[in-house]
Amino acid sequence: MTEILRISVPMTFWLAAFSAVYGLQGFICSRHWFEAEVEGLTVARMALVGAWLLVIAVQVAMLAMLRAERWASPEPTMRFVSVTLAVVALVAAVWSLVPVATTSICY
Amino acid sequence: MNALRRHRALSRIWASDPGFRGWFTTVNHNDVGRMFIVTSVFFFLVGGILAMLIRAQLATPRSAFVGPEIYNQIFTMHGTIMMFLFAIPLIEGVAIYLLPKLLGTRDLAYPRLTAFGYWCYVFGGSMLLFSLLVGIAPDSGWFLYPPLSSTLGQPGINSDFWLLGITFVEISAIAAAVEITVTVLRYRAPGMSLTRMPVLAWYLLVTVVMILTGFPPLILGSILLELERAFGMPFFQVEHGGDSLLWQHLFWLFGHPEVYIIFLPAAGVISTILPVMARTTLLGYGWVVAAAIALGVLSFGLWVHHMYVTGIPHMGVAFFSAASTLVAVPTAVQVFAWIGTLWKGQPQLRLPMLWILGFFVTFVIGGLTGVMVAIVPFDAQVHDTYFIVAHLHYVLVGGFVFPMMAALYYWLPHVTGRKRFFKLGEAAFWLIFLGFHVTFLALHWVGLLGMRRRIYTFDSGQGWELVNLISSIGGFVATIGFGLVLVDIIVNAVVATRGVRNPWGAGTLEWAMPTPPPAYTFASLPSVSERDPLLKEPRLGVGLAKGEGFLGDPSRGRRETLCVETASGRPAYLVTFPDNSALPFALSAVTGGIFLGMLLKAYWLIPLSILGIVALGVRWVWTTGADRDRGPMDVGRGVSLIPAEEAEDPPGWWGSVFLLLADATLFGSLLFGYAFLWTVAPNWPPPSYLAPDPVAAVLAAVGGLVAVAAFRLAARALEQGGSAIGWLILAALGAGAVGAAAISVMVARPDFTAHAYDATLWVIAGYVLLHAALAVLMALFLAARGWLGFLGPRRRGPVRVGQIWADYLLVVAAIGLGAAWLPGAFA
Ligand code: HEM
Ligand SMILES: [Cu+2]
Repeated sequence: MTEILRISVPMTFWLAAFSAVYGLQGFICSRHWFEAEVEGLTVARMALVGAWLLVIAVQVAMLAMLRAERWASPEPTMRFVSVTLAVVALVAAVWSLVPVATTSICY
Repeated sequence: MNALRRHRALSRIWASDPGFRGWFTTVNHNDVGRMFIVTSVFFFLVGGILAMLIRAQLATPRSAFVGPEIYNQIFTMHGTIMMFLFAIPLIEGVAIYLLPKLLGTRDLAYPRLTAFGYWCYVFGGSMLLFSLLVGIAPDSGWFLYPPLSSTLGQPGINSDFWLLGITFVEISAIAAAVEITVTVLRYRAPGMSLTRMPVLAWYLLVTVVMILTGFPPLILGSILLELERAFGMPFFQVEHGGDSLLWQHLFWLFGHPEVYIIFLPAAGVISTILPVMARTTLLGYGWVVAAAIALGVLSFGLWVHHMYVTGIPHMGVAFFSAASTLVAVPTAVQVFAWIGTLWKGQPQLRLPMLWILGFFVTFVIGGLTGVMVAIVPFDAQVHDTYFIVAHLHYVLVGGFVFPMMAALYYWLPHVTGRKRFFKLGEAAFWLIFLGFHVTFLALHWVGLLGMRRRIYTFDSGQGWELVNLISSIGGFVATIGFGLVLVDIIVNAVVATRGVRNPWGAGTLEWAMPTPPPAYTFASLPSVSERDPLLKEPRLGVGLAKGEGFLGDPSRGRRETLCVETASGRPAYLVTFPDNSALPFALSAVTGGIFLGMLLKAYWLIPLSILGIVALGVRWVWTTGADRDRGPMDVGRGVSLIPAEEAEDPPGWWGSVFLLLADATLFGSLLFGYAFLWTVAPNWPPPSYLAPDPVAAVLAAVGGLVAVAAFRLAARALEQGGSAIGWLILAALGAGAVGAAAISVMVARPDFTAHAYDATLWVIAGYVLLHAALAVLMALFLAARGWLGFLGPRRRGPVRVGQIWADYLLVVAAIGLGAAWLPGAFA
C-alpha cells in the first residue's frame, strides 16, 4: 500500500487542489461573497494567489519527501516513477493555476 | 504425479458445469471473459447497424427513410451503445480474460463477482435493446442533457430506459473494476513485484481506478435525474431551486475521463504488442508507467472544457484550458516510447502490426483535428457540426477500435489454439482502413461546409449531396470489412490447423500455457524474477505443467491460488476460490427487479427486490470462510502459507477498500452537487432551512462512535480467545441509531418536491441510512457467524472487513448529517 500511496498521492493532491481553487473562484463569483461584503476583489485575488502558493509549497514538500532516504521507495524503478509523478504534479500545480494571477476573476 | 494426471485432476476441480447449465453457473474468468467479449462484439454490430442506418438516411438529401423521431433514437442509441455497451465491456472482457494469465495466477480475485457483473451487463443492455426494438429508445443524444431528457422535454419512458439501463450496466463496470484492482495488487505470481508486472497490467490498473472514480458522478447524476422523473425531486428544474447545469457537470466529470478510460487500455495493448512485433522489449518502462498514471489523473481535471459555451467566467475557462494542454506531455511520452521501441527493434509487418500502423495514422490525424478544435475561435466555427463528429470518430475508432483489432489478431491464437491460414484478415484491414478514412474525411469536409450534427435530413443545393454520398459509400465499405473479419474468425475457429504454443515469441506469461487455455490456466504457478519471463526461459510452460511451480499438487481438491504482498510480490497467503454457482445470475436478476420496478412504476417490486438481494447476499458470503483455525499449509516448493481467512487483510478487506473508493466518490459528487446548487442555482437559498435536531444529532454521534468502537473490541475479544457476539450486537445497535437519525431528517422535511434543497436532504439522508443498514446487516451477520464458530483467534479478518464499513458510516454520517443541519443552525 505504501508504494501505491507514493505514486498516487502527489497527483491526487494536485487534482483536489485544482478543483478546490476552481470551487473557491466559483464561490467568490457567486452572490455569497458579495453578500458577506468582504473587501471586494482585492481580497479575492489575494485569497486565490495565496491558495496557489500554498498548493505549490505542498507539492514541493512532497517531492522533497519522495527523494529523501527516509520516505523514498527502496526499489529503483518505483522510486523513479514516484519522483517523476511528483514532478509532474508540481508542474501541473504551477501551470494549471497560473490564471489566478493573470486573468480577471469573474468576467 | 505426471503432467497428464495433474492436468486431469486440475481440470476436474476447475471445470464449469457441463452443457446449458454451465453458461449460467460458470465463474471461471476464461468463460466469463469470452462471454463479455462476444456480447460486446454483438453490441458493436448493433451499434454498427445503427451507424449504417444513419448513413443510409443521410446518403441523399430529403431522404424519406426515417423521420426525426426515429432518427433521434438511432443516433442516441448508436452513441450510447458504442460507448457503454461496446467499448467499456470489451475492455472489461479483455482484462478478465487476460489478466490472470499475464499475472501468473489462476483466476480473478472474486470469481462470482465476475459473473455477477456479466449478468448485470446483459440485463441492463437488454433493457436498452428492448427499447430500441419497440421504438421507445432514448432520443436526447448520448449525453442526455436535461431539460431535453427530463419530464419537461421527454414525458415518455424513453429517457428512463437510458438512466436505468446504463446505471445497471455501470454496476457491472464497478464490479469488474473492484475485482481487477484487487487482482493486480494482490493476485500475482510469486516474485512478480510491482515493477516486474507486464505493462498492460499497469494500464489496466490505472483504467479501473479511473472507472472507480469516474463512473460514480454519472451514476449519481442518473439517480438524481431518475428521482426527478419518477418522484418529482426537482434537482434540475430552475423554478424549484434546481439547475440543469448540474447534470452537465456530473456528466462531464465522468465523460472526459471516459475518453481516457477507453484509450488507456488500447495504449496498453499497443505497448504490449509493439515490442513483440519489433522483436525487442519496451523502451522506457518506468516512463510509460508514469505517463499512464499521469494521463489518468490529469484527465479528471478537464471536465469543464466541454462546457465553455455555457458562459463560464474567464478564469474558469483559463484554468481548464491550461490543464488541457498538460495532457499533451504524457501522451507525447507514450508515443516516443513506441517510436523508440520500433527504432531499437526489427519491426515485422505481421497483421497485428498492420493494425497498429493504422492506429498511428488515424490517431495522429485525430490529434491534429483535436488541436484545431481546442483553438477557441475555430471551435466557435465548427461547434456542433459534422467536423466534431469526424474528430470524435478519428479518436475513438483510430484510438480504440484499431488497437482492439490488433489485440484480436494477436491473442486469437491464444483463444483458439489455431493459426490463421487465409489472408482474409489483410483484405479486411484494407477495406476497413480505407472505408473508414473515406467516410470521415468526407464528414470533416461537410462539417466545414456547415452541416450540423444530429439533423435527420438536409436540403439539396447546399453543396452537401456528393460529400454525403461519398461518406455513406465509405461507411458501407468499412462495414464489409468488419463482416470479413467475422468470417475470418469463424473460418479459423472451424477449419484452421493447430498452432504452436507461443507463435509470436512473446515474453509474457499468458503464453506459458497450453492453448486454448485450460480452465485452471497454470498447472503450477511460476516464480517470477524478471519482466519477460519467457524470453529467458522459453520452456517455462513445460516445467509448470510438470508441477515445478507453486501449488502443483491438486490433492486438496479445491480451486487454489496465492496472494502476494503488493509491492514485493512475496507470497502472503493461500486463497481458496468458490465453486460454480448460480448465485451471480440469480443476484443480478433480482437486482434487475429494482430497475424494472422503477421503469414500470411498479414500486412494490423495489422493497421485494431489496429483500431478495439481502437474502442472496447473505447466502453468498455464508459459503466462504472456515469453521476452525487451520494454520499454515503447504503450497509447494517448500513454502507454507496461512489461508486467506486467517490473514489480517483478507481479499474481502481489499475489495471493501476499493469499493469504498467508488462509494466515497459518489458521496463526494453528492456533496459537490449540494454546494453547486447552493452557490450557483438561481433560486437559492431555499425558503426555509431544516431545523437542527439535538436529539438526533446525539443519537447519530453516539451511535456511530459505539459502532466503530464495538467492531474493534469484537476483534480484540476474538484475539484473546473470547466471544465477539456481544460486541457485534452492540455495533448493530450503534449503526441502527445512526440510521434513526437519518430518518429523522426525512421526517422533518416530508415534502421532497418543494425545493431542490429538500430533495437533496432526502438523498443525503437516504445515503446515510443505506450505509447504516449495511453496517447493521454486517454486524448481525458476523454475530451469527461467530455463534456458529466461523470466527476465531486467527480468523478475525471478517470482523476487520465489517469494521471499515462502520468507520465509513461514521464519516459519512458526520459529514452528511452535518451538512444537513449546519445551515439551519447558523441561520
Ligand atoms: C465505424 C463505423 C461508425 C460509423 C460509420 C459511425 C457513424 C456515426 C455518425 C454518422 C454519427 C453522427 C450522427 C448524427 O450526429 O446525426 C455518429 C455519432 C456518434 N458515434 Fe459513431 N460511427 C461509427 C463507429 C463508432 C464507434 C466505434 C464509436 C465509439 C466507440 C462511436 C461513437 C459515437 C458517438 C458517441 C456519437 C455521438 C452520438 C450523439 O450525438 O449523441 N461511433 N456516428
Ligand atoms: Cu474532454
